[in-house]
Amino acid sequence: MWDDDVHLKHQTLLRDLKSTVEGLLSSQVANVWYIYGGLNRLHVDVVKIFKHGCTITQTGNESDYWRFIKGLQWLQPNTSNSSFSIDCEYRSHLPHTIKEDRASTWLYRCLENHSLSQKLSWLLSDQSHLLSCYHSKAFLCQKDYAEATLICLRAVERNQPSLISEIKPHLFLLPSKEYHRNHRRCSSFPDAHLRDNSTRKTYQSFDLTLPKCDEIKTKDTQRIVVKLRTWKSLPDMHRSSVKIATRVRHNTECRSSPVTPIRIIGNEKVSPSLLKVDYDSLQKKVPKKSTLKRPNKTQKSKRVLIDNCNIIEHTQSAPKAVTKTKVSSSAPEYSFLSFVSGEKDYTKKPKKTFIEDGGMSVLPMATGFFPRPLKGQSLTSFLMSSQFTRANAELDRENAHFNISEAVISAMEQIKCGKVCSDEHQEESDEEINQLKQRIRLRRRMKIVEEQKQTSWGGSSLLSDGKTDTTTEASPASMSSSTDTYSGSISSEENVFDLEIDKASNLSDIMELSMSMASLYSEADIMKRTREAPDGASDALSAEGVALTLISKFSEKQLPRASDLVWLVSEEDAPQALLPLPKSWPVSPDDCDELVTSLRGTMEWAPPRPQVIFTLHPIVSRNDLIAKQNYRCAGCGMRVAKQYASKFRYCNYLGRFFCTGCHSNQLSIIPARIIQNWNFKRFIVSNFSYRLLEQMYTDPLFRVFELNRKLMNNKAMKTCRMFREGLSYLKDFILTCRFADTIQDYLKNERSYLLSDPDVYSMEDLVKVKTGEMRVKFKFIAEMCSKHVYECQLCLARGFICEICKKNDLLFPWRMGSVSRCKKCGCCFHITCWKESDDLPCRRCTRFGRRRASIDNANPAP
Amino acid sequence: MASNKKILLKVVILGDSGVGKTSLMNQYITKKFSNQYKATIGADFLTKELIVDDRAVTMQIWDTAGQERFQSLGVAFYRGADCCVLVFDVTAPNTFKSLDSWRDEFLIQASPREPENFPFVLLGNKVDLEPRGISTKRAQQWCQSKNNIPYFETSAKEALNVEQAFQCIARNALSQQNQNDDLYNEFPDQIKLSQPSKSSGSGDSCAC
Repeated sequence: MWDDDVHLKHQTLLRDLKSTVEGLLSSQVANVWYIYGGLNRLHVDVVKIFKHGCTITQTGNESDYWRFIKGLQWLQPNTSNSSFSIDCEYRSHLPHTIKEDRASTWLYRCLENHSLSQKLSWLLSDQSHLLSCYHSKAFLCQKDYAEATLICLRAVERNQPSLISEIKPHLFLLPSKEYHRNHRRCSSFPDAHLRDNSTRKTYQSFDLTLPKCDEIKTKDTQRIVVKLRTWKSLPDMHRSSVKIATRVRHNTECRSSPVTPIRIIGNEKVSPSLLKVDYDSLQKKVPKKSTLKRPNKTQKSKRVLIDNCNIIEHTQSAPKAVTKTKVSSSAPEYSFLSFVSGEKDYTKKPKKTFIEDGGMSVLPMATGFFPRPLKGQSLTSFLMSSQFTRANAELDRENAHFNISEAVISAMEQIKCGKVCSDEHQEESDEEINQLKQRIRLRRRMKIVEEQKQTSWGGSSLLSDGKTDTTTEASPASMSSSTDTYSGSISSEENVFDLEIDKASNLSDIMELSMSMASLYSEADIMKRTREAPDGASDALSAEGVALTLISKFSEKQLPRASDLVWLVSEEDAPQALLPLPKSWPVSPDDCDELVTSLRGTMEWAPPRPQVIFTLHPIVSRNDLIAKQNYRCAGCGMRVAKQYASKFRYCNYLGRFFCTGCHSNQLSIIPARIIQNWNFKRFIVSNFSYRLLEQMYTDPLFRVFELNRKLMNNKAMKTCRMFREGLSYLKDFILTCRFADTIQDYLKNERSYLLSDPDVYSMEDLVKVKTGEMRVKFKFIAEMCSKHVYECQLCLARGFICEICKKNDLLFPWRMGSVSRCKKCGCCFHITCWKESDDLPCRRCTRFGRRRASIDNANPAP
Repeated sequence: MASNKKILLKVVILGDSGVGKTSLMNQYITKKFSNQYKATIGADFLTKELIVDDRAVTMQIWDTAGQERFQSLGVAFYRGADCCVLVFDVTAPNTFKSLDSWRDEFLIQASPREPENFPFVLLGNKVDLEPRGISTKRAQQWCQSKNNIPYFETSAKEALNVEQAFQCIARNALSQQNQNDDLYNEFPDQIKLSQPSKSSGSGDSCAC
């Protein structure tokens, strides 16, 4: 175990670097060097790394690793030259401690101009140069650590904290717990580590053991020796030294080809699958493994949680939204889209308008809805049921995590309990388990055999062993006895059980955190598992999605029925029967399977409904209204203490107070204020209202003149109304005229209500009336249509002639100033000849009535 | 004088929906018949060149239907008509009963100078179908009571009497034309000059 110290030193170096980098990146400034002392701190860490294991003795004020850096001159002559002539002005702000040191200054400058990772990767790419300057145990010679260093540097250079997660977590584990299964690149590097990093004597002593090897080979052979040491208790390890030699040569040849030392880690976006994996690792790995040496892992989990939050759309982005809206409010622009923020979740789906779905797609923050399992329904089918897959309210989705995790835990406990009981009696009962056990035994045996082969071959890296599998091995005690794990880890029943749970966890989880676990499965097995991972759940990160992944590895019959579990949500929490729910609700045929009423709530609170509100809310004092709301947020039902109720925000649309989670001060025009007061100012509304208003923005919902007759006197409205009414007549002429194809096409592109129902307006229309856009547009259409009518023989022939004066004057219904029209029969007269307000029925109607009566009289029904 | 000028005869076909107005017109002009019923939307016209009494005339036949669906459409085309064809379905008595109303309506809207002498022609269509609802005699009686309107029993489907009926219609129209001023032809010019300005402001006219 003497090489643990070297390893510890490596870890310390890397951890220092990483924590510095994390510190720099966590503040999220545009340029990390704005952070006071940040560059110096990072510089110190990097210098330590460069110094570690350097074979060149320091001469004068020239650092020992300067020769290593100078390698750039011939590795990348074209690019590196410039950086070697360090400008004097750079020295001016250098810390005085490094001013005299060329190498240190060089590092400082490379860090500052974000080029160190590139240069370091060039330096590392040449093995012979690296080894000529460093011991094989030096930090930079450990490919994994070098890689991790590059990742850290890159993270700083690109200002991407997410990159740090690419560092392999096993670097922070003790060597005995290292997993190398999936790291082919490590194979060329020594995995064992020397105890003493500083005394060069140790190295030399090693060199002595293999004096014949040249410089390059030394490293490999050394590694092998070290390997052999660790495994000395195993038999057959020392045979076939010839093979070792060939193998070594082979390795060297391979490496001489210019390999980019690091794989490209560029994707800033974290894929959902990765997230899911990490989520699982958080859930399961953390409590299982020893928590001592995993700063990286925990860090990773943290990050994932943050990402997680981003995905489950948090609308509490209040300050952002506010600033945005404020900016746009100055411009005379009324488009909703201009100030939508953080609404990603809702734009994914093709949006239904309010009229199409009655606003049902706009969900309040919470409805208190949690599906109840049917009697006898299996857990899997319950979790996969459409009640989960449909979009539930945001807080309900979050709360589902609590409810479901509780249920899954209790399900696991039941399985465990059942297992213990059944094992006592019928050991061979479950076929699947038996098969699995058998398989594990076989695989382990095969592994051991493989190991032996590989070790003897010198392929030292693939030392995946049965020893690090499960909980038993995580205990430090097992490390010492790990050599004889062959018999020891052919596991007990408990081990098998743990394995089962492990299997349920995700692929990357397996890959990164328990490599040895992965070794139990074939590649194909693993690939298959990733693909099927989400298991039909709508979202891998949703509560039910996670739960499904967790339970997916248990057979259906093992799992208890969903209805047998105790769910946290009880009828008392959500007494549906007491809530005033609409008796019937329009359900589109597509949604038939979702007949579950989604409106829930509690005795004191009901979620906001998607209403269209035409009238102004009475002015009630803030305190009264909040008290009336029982100090609950109208959006999520959250109750606050009286003194905190002042934090609630008023929603000008619903006329209720909302918590800051449900109300992020988004601004919207309010239909009632437009209709009643012709007020187009934007007022703060709750997130729910905002989405609702956004959804109904283009829907023709408002018969404005019925809602407020005074609007008829509004000049803009009056003009628009006239044009629209005129058009409603004109369109009959145009649409039935065979000479008006082009205008017909034009009219068909318009929304039909605009032409056929002149009194109906959408919010968008009202805004356009206000801006004058509507008037311009309809004036254009009306003129185009009437121009056609007055030039078209057919359309002219369909005009009216006043049958009272019988003058040769063609009347059209849209000549509203001079023509009056009978609303009943549509007949037109000169306004001077007949007016509807005359209270005389129009002649034609009178005539028709008389005629009908006479026909009825003359021919009593035969 | 009249022989130099191209004569346009304007004929309006009226009658209840489904009696075969469009079919008759199509049979006469295109010699085709379709069993499929398709309601006519609005009013439309077809023209046919023909020789009447050695004079080349253009007959403009206005087919009407579905007016009740588009109340904003008027019947200004009645004005200046030279002949009105009334059609009923011999198997459907109701269509016969409403003939009076069609005739009255036409006379009111067209307001010809001498309503009692205005040429009408009555067509009893669908004689290929059984059973008869309206006997020939009854139809003829009605015609006599209206100043001896010519009456034809036709079948648009079998092209029975269609040609003869329209020959008669054309002749009657021509006789009316000779007496009439060309009322209709005054229309477009007059309107073109005066109306567009009004139209551009369906707005202006209402700027009260």
